[in-house]
Amino acid sequence: MADIVRKHVVSVEGPTIRERLQAMDDSAVVSAFLGGEERAFSELVTRYQTRLLNFVYRTIGDREKAEDLVQEVFIRVYRHLHRFDRSKKFSTWVYTIASNLAKNELRNRSRNPLVLFQTVQKNFQDEDRPLQFEDATSRPDDMYRKRHLREIVEESVAKLPEHHRNVFVLRELEGKSYEEIAEITQCNLGTVKSRLNRARNSFAEIIAPYVD
Amino acid sequence: MDCREFCDQHLAFVDDTLPGIELVRMQRHVAECESCAKHDAKIRRALLLFRNLPLIEPSVGFSHRLEVRLKECHEEQLAHSQRNLKLGAFAATLASAIMLGYIGTTLYDHASPPRDIVMAPVVASIPEPEPTPITTSAPAIVASVSAGLSLWPAALFAEQAPVRFAHSKLELTNFTR
Repeated sequence: MADIVRKHVVSVEGPTIRERLQAMDDSAVVSAFLGGEERAFSELVTRYQTRLLNFVYRTIGDREKAEDLVQEVFIRVYRHLHRFDRSKKFSTWVYTIASNLAKNELRNRSRNPLVLFQTVQKNFQDEDRPLQFEDATSRPDDMYRKRHLREIVEESVAKLPEHHRNVFVLRELEGKSYEEIAEITQCNLGTVKSRLNRARNSFAEIIAPYVD
Repeated sequence: MDCREFCDQHLAFVDDTLPGIELVRMQRHVAECESCAKHDAKIRRALLLFRNLPLIEPSVGFSHRLEVRLKECHEEQLAHSQRNLKLGAFAATLASAIMLGYIGTTLYDHASPPRDIVMAPVVASIPEPEPTPITTSAPAIVASVSAGLSLWPAALFAEQAPVRFAHSKLELTNFTR
């Protein structure tokens, strides 16, 4: 009897479903979701929302649009997760969707000059927003310098050609391997290495006058 | 190592994916060549700046908006699957009705008494004689021709040849004219 009571107590005090999901790897969380555990999808969102937002934002340069696209990524994942080949990495699949959506957005923008203008205008208006990413305890001149530097870096990245920028962000920001980048961008390994090398050199050339 | 080789391998050098010997050669070249050392420093500094960019976080309303959209998506999927289920049920009902009808018809056929087999009437006719390749009515001539003998000696031999008969006890008997 005491054993039964002890077992019951242990099961009650054990980890909650959310904690168990947090301890799982992506593949197990996907399996849990496909097995009917709806909360598993929230876990996937928690894991990927910030990473995807930064990736898309660095690729297209528009924060609001980046949020919309990340939402679209999650909707597509929700709809088509049952079709996902579970022998492959979930993160690669998610980044492939995000990369394709970002590419489409850039293509649409280049076709529609009005959208391009609106984006530029929005970024220009962003100059007036309060400082939000800097450490609030820093001195005002330090904060200004940091913010200025951040803007220079972002502008320099934005100057890279789209296919170079995509590879550059995946490698330098997301830390993806060459093989993963090749899969996400649907290029061969040689192309990825060549683009990355060119992107690094171009970025260094663009930013050099500002930091020297 | 020359500067060109250094530039070719610089990607792997920065990513630290070079094998040991190559890594040492690259490091030695950086120590010896000022322009390559400058290039290496420039790239590394630029990358450091980019990697240290502050991460942006999703806005406050992001999760709520996503939740609403996911809910809509879920309901849409449910409605879709229910529609499919209804369609499936209808198809299953229709298929079972057809199957029942077929089984009923088959059983009815088995239950009815056996009927006589009625076959179509047969019309008999005399077959036409097959045409022979040789139209002559004298087989002896044909035989002699095939044996390579002329007609008259063959007829003479046939006349002079002994005629053999067998009586009822199957003993050979000669008959001479």
